Amino acid sequence: MTVKPLKGVRVIDFCWVGAGSYATKLLADQGADVIKIESRARLDSLRLSAPFAGGVAGVDRSGYFADRNTNKRSCTINLKTEEGRELARRLVQDCDVVANSFSPGVMDRFGLGWEEVRAINPSVVYLAMSMQGDSGPYRDHRGFGLTISSMVGMHGLSGLPNEIPVGTGTNFPDHIPNPCHAAFAVLAALRHVRRTGQGQYIDLAQTEATISTLGTALLELTVNGSEPGPMGNRHRRHAPHGVYPCRGDDRWVAIAVTTDEQFAALGRVLGLDEPVMARFANESARLAGADELDELIASRSRSEDQVELAERLQRAGIPAGPVRDPRDLIESDPQLAERGHWVRLRHPEMGETIYNAPPFRLSETPTRLENPAPLLGQHTAEVCRDLLGMDDDEIERLTAAGVLA
Amino acid sequence: MRSVLLVSVDSEPVTGGWPGALTGLRVLELGTELTHYCGKMFAELGADVVLVEPPEGSPLRDQPPFVDDEPGPENSLQFFYRNTSKRGIVVDLAARDSGETIRRLAAGADLILDGLPPGRLEEIGAGPASLIEQNPELVVTSISPFGQTGPYAHYAHSDLVCMALGGLLWMGGYTDGPPVRAFGDQAYMAGNLFGAVASMVALTHAEIRGQGQHVDVSVQEAVVMGLENAAQYYDLEKHVRRRYGGEQRQAGFGVFPCADGHVFLLAAGLGGDRYWGKLVDWMLEEGIAGADRLLEDRWTQREYMYTDEAKNEFWKVFTSFSLDHRKEDLYHESQKRGVPLGPVNRPSDVLESAQLRHRGYFEEMQAFGRSFRIPGAPYRLSATPWRMTGPAPRLGEHTDEVLVDFGFTGPEIERLRETGAVR
Repeated sequence: MTVKPLKGVRVIDFCWVGAGSYATKLLADQGADVIKIESRARLDSLRLSAPFAGGVAGVDRSGYFADRNTNKRSCTINLKTEEGRELARRLVQDCDVVANSFSPGVMDRFGLGWEEVRAINPSVVYLAMSMQGDSGPYRDHRGFGLTISSMVGMHGLSGLPNEIPVGTGTNFPDHIPNPCHAAFAVLAALRHVRRTGQGQYIDLAQTEATISTLGTALLELTVNGSEPGPMGNRHRRHAPHGVYPCRGDDRWVAIAVTTDEQFAALGRVLGLDEPVMARFANESARLAGADELDELIASRSRSEDQVELAERLQRAGIPAGPVRDPRDLIESDPQLAERGHWVRLRHPEMGETIYNAPPFRLSETPTRLENPAPLLGQHTAEVCRDLLGMDDDEIERLTAAGVLA
Repeated sequence: MRSVLLVSVDSEPVTGGWPGALTGLRVLELGTELTHYCGKMFAELGADVVLVEPPEGSPLRDQPPFVDDEPGPENSLQFFYRNTSKRGIVVDLAARDSGETIRRLAAGADLILDGLPPGRLEEIGAGPASLIEQNPELVVTSISPFGQTGPYAHYAHSDLVCMALGGLLWMGGYTDGPPVRAFGDQAYMAGNLFGAVASMVALTHAEIRGQGQHVDVSVQEAVVMGLENAAQYYDLEKHVRRRYGGEQRQAGFGVFPCADGHVFLLAAGLGGDRYWGKLVDWMLEEGIAGADRLLEDRWTQREYMYTDEAKNEFWKVFTSFSLDHRKEDLYHESQKRGVPLGPVNRPSDVLESAQLRHRGYFEEMQAFGRSFRIPGAPYRLSATPWRMTGPAPRLGEHTDEVLVDFGFTGPEIERLRETGAVR
């Protein structure tokens, strides 16, 4: 059995809900020991978020929570109690990373702010990922992935021109921009610890990390003075470039023609007329006639099966693919199946359910998802015994007192 | 500190000039749109990132928008943004013995970022396994549209196609129209971001245990990570989530017009509906007609909130309020009242944000004969700050100095230039 790449890294994880929990999950899935500090007194609201196993709500039944918290241990500590805060301070003394996604000031009120933690653990990497950072007039603001996406311009730039913008339909910043930037920064800071023994504080404003994925739009404004707007599925240079209807209910194929050769091939696959092909042989003509081309392609695609058509286009060298819905991805995408993307893990209360494997494979330290999300407080006694050296009587007393709850 | 992480660090010369967290790391980026942002992340925490381009340059150099709308290899803003703080060299992989050049460079590197088509490095005799064999601590990260293996491994790709096959395209768009993709090549961005995390994971292992490896990142899978709870919805409740853009997902949840644009409101469907009452109180205080009816019992029933009747009534009441106010004013008042609402900002709003201004988020950059603002640090590391060290390299700008740094002699460089192997 190979060692996991992050084995030996311990994370005391105060993150909750979306982006923070996802960031620490990325570390947990690679072998870090991530101990999630949570409490019945103030539940991680993702535990209360649909979907639920069998459609039945319960704190240990959310699929949304489960996928964000694989391979973590759950330790319930009520930080509203002085004894609870003292236990948390003991835990952060002996760890490599402390992570939270609260508004600035919350951790300080628990006596777990950066200055307090560094005083007892100078080599700790302290990740604070608030919505807008720890300084400035909006520092206390709160929000969700969708409000972040709106504020930073992603929502408004995604949609059709002159229509209500649509965004991604998800809390996008929570799932990709913020957890990835956060996990990367933590791993970089851990390298600095290995080299110097020096810990540090990371202030990650979720708005700022998300803007980093939209850099070109801002340069258009600052360099060229022009305000970019939404353009649907269109491309600024290439056409045809869009999503076209196929046979069946709500079935679509995505096609992106990026060269003259690909357009010639598209004409052959769809049986477009010679005069049309001649008229649209070059890129600028295609871009100018994008509306007409889109209608023409839609008139041909409408009677086709999305998967068959995409395969024929791919065989002709044209970037194309069926627009997969979640069910297709799970049941009929041969690539994800071959790559083993979907993993089914058995959870004590939810039974066997679906999880995402990490979207990358490591040749020498292959990590398989092993443990499903923890039950609320599943590892409290174990953590208290092994990390804090408590005996059963002490654990019982603190449980009865509502500290370990 | 915890002993398990203590490792001896070799005494390689530290270059770069500031104590970045990744100072001393040498990264060779065989770069395309699949790796550029990933390379930038390494460069701006202190790694020496060398962008290796073919004679015609990265494919992104051909992509708009361009400076003053003038196409040209040094004018692409897409390319520029993703390649700041790097050095650039030109190596012609089609030239004879190009594999040997890459092998020599790889011998002096800690990380290779490979954005070439799967199998391309093997074709020139510089496959990841052979590079790791000659340099056992080397990490080679290949970021490809669908991964190195599987039936789609060699599919033609574009960002749109990766969004489609990753499922995120399905989630965006209008209820009654086709799926619409997110702005800004977010599929490729997802591959870059997960590629950066995966590379750091493998580099951590290499530094601690001396073992390099090949990392295989799939853009399609990276996009799938962004499906929120949609896979679980299907698995657990057999419900296929679908796009809801253009209307409310349920009453009180969605985009609404205001005096100067739009706001995103999440007054329902979150956290046990504790926000609904706060919003209604707000509208009652403003004397909005019909707000009192939103307190009736029917609004507590989940099924009712999804009906057209509920959406229409909420829309009428809320927009009679929102249309009289600017998005920024609604946002500030919503924060005071604990109602989740965000202004749907344009890039110019972002640029003028008082918060970002206070934090000095935008950096000042000199290039293209002018001075302009550019997005800055995505994270602030207190001891080893993020830093943008310069503009994107011009094509082949640093070829000679990089080759010297990697141990090539003057006559060797001359010979490589003569045969066109480097430029």
